[in-house]
Amino acid sequence: MKRILVIEDTEDNRQIVGDLLSSAGYELIEAVDGLEGVATAEREQPDLILMDIQLPGIDGYEATRRIRKIPALARVPIIAVTSYALSGDEAKTREAGCDGYVATPYSPRQLLAKIREYLP
Amino acid sequence: LIVPLVGADRIMGATILERRTVGEFPEATVRLMQAFASQSVLAIQNARLFREIADKSEQLAQASEHKSQFLANMSHELRTPLNAILGYTELMVDGIYGDLPARAAGVLERVQNNGKHLLALINDVLDLAKIEAGQLSLTLEDYAMPDVVRSVVSATESLANAKGLKFIAEIVPGLPTGHGDARRLSQVLLNLVGNAVKFTDSGEVAIGALAEDGNFVLTVRDTGPGIAPEDQDKIFGEFQQVDNSNTRKKGGTGLGLAISKRMVEMQGGTISVESEVGQGSTFRVVLPIRVEGVPELTAELMGAAQ
Repeated sequence: MKRILVIEDTEDNRQIVGDLLSSAGYELIEAVDGLEGVATAEREQPDLILMDIQLPGIDGYEATRRIRKIPALARVPIIAVTSYALSGDEAKTREAGCDGYVATPYSPRQLLAKIREYLP
Repeated sequence: LIVPLVGADRIMGATILERRTVGEFPEATVRLMQAFASQSVLAIQNARLFREIADKSEQLAQASEHKSQFLANMSHELRTPLNAILGYTELMVDGIYGDLPARAAGVLERVQNNGKHLLALINDVLDLAKIEAGQLSLTLEDYAMPDVVRSVVSATESLANAKGLKFIAEIVPGLPTGHGDARRLSQVLLNLVGNAVKFTDSGEVAIGALAEDGNFVLTVRDTGPGIAPEDQDKIFGEFQQVDNSNTRKKGGTGLGLAISKRMVEMQGGTISVESEVGQGSTFRVVLPIRVEGVPELTAELMGAAQ
């Protein structure tokens, strides 16, 4: 079973993503802020990471940069999930090292399709 | 000799000239001193004015910065709960929480439609707010007009087909390469074509592109109900569909044309409509082929000053 790390501070969003992923047959790992996210990623070595950008402590950009510095995680797919849906935001997530970008509010179906692009 | 420095409404100071010998100053000296005094007044007033302008523009820059931050925060704060509402709803509709009774499924669909409508409103209101605050910056780049038109056609064609409308694209061959914000231009065209499809129940929707006198002329023509002369200006205002009772039936936020108008004008273009009731409508966008410098600072200062 593929394992997905969700780094997200909003409880509702964690639950929605969790319900979606478990119904689609993925195993879910959760972290509620950037620092915990980096530590969990290093410890659990997930197959894919969903990264919220606005997080308490270090934000999603910084967390992504730190994860990319961990050799084993240099190529793990990271999808940014963010409500910073303003122009230029997508480019910023890519600069930080994210592979994909989903703006909120997203449709769970679309999010799942995006995840399947990286985890066929 | 004491010469007062007389400003517009008060005495700002004085110049004092002393000499060792007794007697009056020669008239030439007095005149010279008077000239010197009036020039000093001007110099002092200018210096004050400059400082005031510098303070003011710093205040404006700060206000603009605040607005920008406020809009970014508001965007986040509004979307986060809406994300939960739309997310849970879709999961329920998809049966992830089990099968739903038919009536509940119907109600959920209404919740979903209203949520999506609210999202569209939030996006449009934020777009408008950004434009008003001078925060919507244009990304100027070279683009091929036929590509822009074709992308709009492919996004709207299926809607037109579903309503049984004929869909025509007339792109004059050999159009010059454009320079401007292609993404905003697509947004404007999408809005116009979307409206045409939405309000036309039979007949056709035609989108045309040609070049004339350094401008692109884009037209979106439909065989819809048409717009009465007295309503033709109103439709470019906020929340002004001709018949507001239509809004529910036809959907849309009522902000599309207001946003389109501003986006076209930001690029130095114009948008207009020709229509007759019962004869359909033709929307026309005239846009410089090459959009050059944009008075961005002016827009920002004006936005912040409002």
